[in-house]
Formats: sequence, C-alpha cells, structure tokens
Amino acid sequence: MHNITISLLLFLTCFIHAQTPMSTSEANILKATVKERAAITKTISSDFIQYKHLDFLDNDIETSGKLIFKTPDLIKWEYMKPFKYSVLFKDEKLYINDEGKKSNVNIGSNRLFKQLNTLIINSVKGDMFDEVEFSIEYFKKDNYSLVYFSPKDKKFAKYIKAFHITFNTEGDVIEVKMIESSEDYTKIVFSNKALNKPLEDALFTN
Amino acid sequence: MRYLLISFCCFFVACGSFPNKQQFQIENTSKTTIHNPYFSDEAKDYIYKATIDVYKKSFGGIFIVKKIGNQHHRIVFTTELGNKIFDFSFIKDEFKVNFILDEMNKSILINILKKDFKVLIYEVLNVHKAYSFDSSKIYETEINNKKHFYFTANNQLNKIIRVGNGKEKVVFLFSEMNDFVTNNIEISHFNVKLNIKLKSI
Repeated sequence: MHNITISLLLFLTCFIHAQTPMSTSEANILKATVKERAAITKTISSDFIQYKHLDFLDNDIETSGKLIFKTPDLIKWEYMKPFKYSVLFKDEKLYINDEGKKSNVNIGSNRLFKQLNTLIINSVKGDMFDEVEFSIEYFKKDNYSLVYFSPKDKKFAKYIKAFHITFNTEGDVIEVKMIESSEDYTKIVFSNKALNKPLEDALFTN
Repeated sequence: MRYLLISFCCFFVACGSFPNKQQFQIENTSKTTIHNPYFSDEAKDYIYKATIDVYKKSFGGIFIVKKIGNQHHRIVFTTELGNKIFDFSFIKDEFKVNFILDEMNKSILINILKKDFKVLIYEVLNVHKAYSFDSSKIYETEINNKKHFYFTANNQLNKIIRVGNGKEKVVFLFSEMNDFVTNNIEISHFNVKLNIKLKSI
C-alpha cells in the first residue's frame, strides 16, 4: 500500500510538472502573441534574480537587481545584491560600473552577452523565432510556454548549448535559462515587470 | 681597495637570503607542518567578487572555489553576468583546464594562475625553517620547488610570500578572517603587472 501511494505521488508530481510538446498551431499562436505584445512594447522595467548553477556547488550563486529596456536596443542590467555592478549595452558598446569603477571593456562578457541581449531584445520585438540561427522546440508547462533555442552556430554552441525561455500567457518573458555545454547554467527570473513605463534616456547611463 | 670591499659587501647583502635581508630572527620550532585552512571545508561554497588588474586592463567577475575531496579542488571564474571565463580542476599534483575562453587561452597566463591558485588551496606544508619578526611567526616552506614564507600572527595565517633569488615574487595577503574563512584576499605580483583582489560575498 505504501509503495502504491509513493508511486501515485511520483506519478502525480511528474504529471503536474510535465512539459508537453506544443502542436504547430499552438506554437503559431504563441509566436503571434509574442509578436503582438512586442509591437506595443516601448519600454520594460523589471526586477530580476540570477541563479548561477555550477554542478559541483551545494547552492546556486544568487545575485539580483533591475533590468531596464527601451526600444530599439537600450538595455541595462543593474545588480544590487550582493554587490553593486551595472552593465549598459548602448551603441554597440558595453559600459560597466563596478562598484564605482567605470570601464567600457570587459573580457568574456561582451560577445556572449551581446548575443543574449540581442535574443532578449528580439524576444521583446517578437522576431526571435529565427529558424536560421536556432533549432527551436516548443513546450507547454503548467500555464506557461517554454521554448528551447539551440544555436546552430558551432562556435556559439561551444559556450551556450541552449536558451530556454519561459513566456507567460500574455507573451512576456518571465525566465531565461542559458545552458552551457557542460550543463552548468545561468537562470534569470524576472518579477515586478512593468511595460511602457516612461524611461528617460538619462537612466541609460553608467 | 676600500671601494672593492664595499662593493663586495653590497654584493653579498644584495644576494643574501630573503630572511636575512628582511632581518628575520631564526627560531627553534617543534612545528613540522603548517596549515592553510582557507579553502579546506568540503561543506562550504567559497564565493568571492573578484577584480583582476592585468597590465592596463581591469575586469571583474565572480571567483568560486570548491573543495570536492581530499586534495581535489575546483576553481571557476565567471563574469558577473554568469558567463564562464575559466574552470580549473586541481587533483593532487594534476591540473586540468575544464574550460577557458579563447581570449584567455594563453599558456603563460594559465601557468601563472595555476601557480597562484595552487598556493591558495595547498592545505598542509612541511616547515623547513621558522623565524620571527615583530609579532609574526614565519615558516619557510616549498611549493613546486619554490620557497614560500608563511606569516602568522596569533596562529592565524595572514600572508604568504613566494620568493625567487632572494626577492619577493608574489605576495598573498589575507585579511578579515573569521575562523577558517578569509573575507579578503589580495594577490600581487612583482615581476608581472597582475593583481587579483577577492572579496567574499
């Protein structure tokens, strides 16, 4: 009896959390919803929590802050905890403010994160579903849509094997997970997201 | 002749051993080993905010050390945004590069980092000689055939100096320690423009 209960519980847990592939029409609806949402989005401001998962650590490394975005391509990530650090993507450059120390070059982060930002910006614009750049798979999970983007470019895939982006029913990005070839990943969870709140250009300085 | 003698004296002083030059007093000690406890707890994830100044460039990131098992450590450096810059494994005397960004993949640099990080994680060292200076007790040891001097105050390790040809090559400073954790580490090189600052987060 005990075993049956455990099996049932396991089955239910799997059932509740299972992600199922979308049908083509469901995927098309999602794409249309995201595009529609993107067309009316001029600014985004959101809180975020970043979880860096390294398989050998006991706990993920948690950092958090604010993200602001303004069309066409201004984006600023401002980390507040446990340290102050902000990075602004503007005019094809990366401006960094590391606890007051300013610079505009940063090894490692620029090429990859530029691509991620392009991806996030594109997800806002609705034109991220680029079959030339990515192999794309669509899933349903609870009330959310989950899309896997696997870069086809081998050089890029060496760093990031896949992006898993979760959308809510309105077509907003609520979570981005970047998975490295080693299976370690960075997960960014957005919350308190506000659309089209006026954001002055002065906010996009570092 | 007098100048020659003075020159000789200067020459000998210049070539003198590091402890002599620093005016360390030799001490008798029963201590045969010295311990570096700062990365020795397998139950702990050691996470630091890092600033690395190399030549005229300065960049930041997150520096992660994990003891996986006996004489087995993993050291990873990522950007604040989470991208990995390098990922090294130290297993006994073996060293493995699990990942490194192409831009950083230079053997000279990897070699310097390997030697520095080895010092951070080396837990038990044989004491060759002991000295004292002011209130510090200093222990002479060897890592990779290079002399390293371990400085302690009140039995707490606060500095390591790697010495070559009687001169300081690299200084490791530990500060804001509580028990077996050091909240600040600074690694300064004297023959290359490299400085690494780590602050526990």
